[in-house]
Amino acid sequence: MLDDLKPAGKPLVAVDNLKMHFPIYGGLLRRRTGEVKAVDGISFEIFEGETLGLVGESGCGKSTVGRALLRLYELTGGTVKIDDYDIAHASPEALRKMRPTMQMIFQDPQASLNPRMTVADIIGEPLREHQAGSKLEREDRVLELMDQVGLNRDFANRYPHEFSGGQRQRIGIARALALNPKFIVCDEPIAALDVSIQAQVVNLLEELQDSLGLTYLFISHDLSMVRHIADRVAVMYLGRIVELAPREEIYAEPLHPYTKALLSAVPEPDPSIESSVERVILTGDVPSPSNPPKGCNFCTRCPSVMDVCKQVEPKFQEVRPGRFLACHLFEYPTPDTNESATNGAG
Amino acid sequence: MPDGALPVLDVRDLKTVFKTRSGEVHAVNSVTFDVKPGELLGVVGESGSGKSVTMMSLIGLLPSPPADVKEGQVLFGGQDLLKINPNDLRHVRGGEIGFVFQDPMTSLNPVFNVGFQIMEPLRIHMGLNKSQARARAVELLELVGIPDAGRRLKDYPHQFSGGMRQRVMIAIALACDPKVLIADEPTTALDVTIQAQIIELVKELREKLGMAIIWITHDLGVIAGIADRVMVMYGGQVVEQAPVRELFGNPQHPYTRALLQTIPSVRGARAEKLNVIEGQPPILAGAPTACPFRDRCPQRFERCDAENPVRRAVGGAGHDAACHYDFKAGGPHVG
Repeated sequence: MLDDLKPAGKPLVAVDNLKMHFPIYGGLLRRRTGEVKAVDGISFEIFEGETLGLVGESGCGKSTVGRALLRLYELTGGTVKIDDYDIAHASPEALRKMRPTMQMIFQDPQASLNPRMTVADIIGEPLREHQAGSKLEREDRVLELMDQVGLNRDFANRYPHEFSGGQRQRIGIARALALNPKFIVCDEPIAALDVSIQAQVVNLLEELQDSLGLTYLFISHDLSMVRHIADRVAVMYLGRIVELAPREEIYAEPLHPYTKALLSAVPEPDPSIESSVERVILTGDVPSPSNPPKGCNFCTRCPSVMDVCKQVEPKFQEVRPGRFLACHLFEYPTPDTNESATNGAG
Repeated sequence: MPDGALPVLDVRDLKTVFKTRSGEVHAVNSVTFDVKPGELLGVVGESGSGKSVTMMSLIGLLPSPPADVKEGQVLFGGQDLLKINPNDLRHVRGGEIGFVFQDPMTSLNPVFNVGFQIMEPLRIHMGLNKSQARARAVELLELVGIPDAGRRLKDYPHQFSGGMRQRVMIAIALACDPKVLIADEPTTALDVTIQAQIIELVKELREKLGMAIIWITHDLGVIAGIADRVMVMYGGQVVEQAPVRELFGNPQHPYTRALLQTIPSVRGARAEKLNVIEGQPPILAGAPTACPFRDRCPQRFERCDAENPVRRAVGGAGHDAACHYDFKAGGPHVG
């Protein structure tokens, strides 16, 4: 249990105050009228060989974080260091040289594979682009990769549409592995798959991590799958990380009111437990990221909201060893009166 | 739910076939089930298992061709919905049988305000005039928990969030006091916290209004929380059917058993390694002559290749499964 909590090694990925704002243009002259603060100042580290789960609801900015880490966007602010290289400020040539270290697995295996390329071409493309080895060596590598992800070698010359969803996701994984990356961003890799196939892909990702020493950022909205695969879990809400903690602790004892509500909302696939689950039903919807509320982003829906939450933005800080939290409840001692007064809202 | 109550909807031996260039696809094969008044029947299955096609077949929502509802009976209110004329069916559909679809954005018409869309069934099916329909529409929006209902009637679907849109869909489905509400993956497109809101809402509405609900989903967690009875579909067939606790506690079909083991939970002990159902779901070309699950089944033996199993009573009351293997005896079923 204890060795679970201590991530081994040094941070491979260090993110400091990452901001990603997208402009909104409007009016007759298409002037800039505002911005969507998709990611608004988040910091975290991912250790070597670790899986960091990044969870949150749609629109909270989790996919944007994944893309920003690989600099698929030009960042609005902050720094991202992968393996001690500053990704955020690297020149295009330097960035291209770093690309093999960091790869991505996308959500929709249908949309992320070119329908006109054969499987061998798709998996071999990164090798060609980065001129890894001779043509023969590349062909061997493609077949080796297909073995590694459990695809039949005989299908190397088939096209993506001839494969099922789970197999297509394996093609995407093989492509991501082609250049021996250290760090892979998995952006909802199982969301488009059926339950029985999800487990196959998750087990494959875990096996590959063990054998190749990979580090993952696993982005997902599926809290039960994240509990299975992640070592530590970060919870995002409206562009910010509200809680980051080792897996066992966050699932056993969530501290942030949003994490509590999120976990309690997950349906339990066992009717005998399900009826005894205490639910925190949040009211209302997530506010717009172009116009976030003053103070804490969660203050409009929080069952334990206090006056200070509507004025001051809570700091993201370590409240216990290894547990990071952005909530006023943990800066001031819990006011019992306040909680009982507002709990009835659900 | 009294066991002896007559079913409000009784489906027998439903067969739906799609004609394609590469032959017939047997999407629904001899599906038999019923729903009692006030009961919530959960239908679980993966994509392609035939759960949505079954529901669309029984109220004539499939385009024909390519779809062809070949055989079967759908008994509802003393008539067979597969035999009655399209006009009468239109009055059942949207009137006595309500529908909620998965994606609330594509199932609402973007160019009409939601007031119009809620009043439409009220005026067509119930013959209400404009002001009556409007009053009822406000009542319905309040019922599904949309604040400031009177003003929001004028809003268009894009002005609502995903969860609110699904509430509007539910209001439309409930407009004519249906006896049966068919909800096809109604929370799949929603976030978990919003899903929890919608599930609470449906539970409340069911107590208040007492209609029967058929809830289609691939999420066993959702089913465990709301269903009275569960029907598991695989490869276009019903493979197992039981009261909810019986199904989760004592599954008797290898597919159900495997499925229950593959899903992780956020509560309780954490599994070190996920159990996997190897292989892929079947391709439903041609009429089935063998068990659809046989290629992925750990219990497979000769009879599974030779004969498609029919549902037989197993375990406790109201529990049946379509499998040649008897888990209680630890061997093939005799007879």
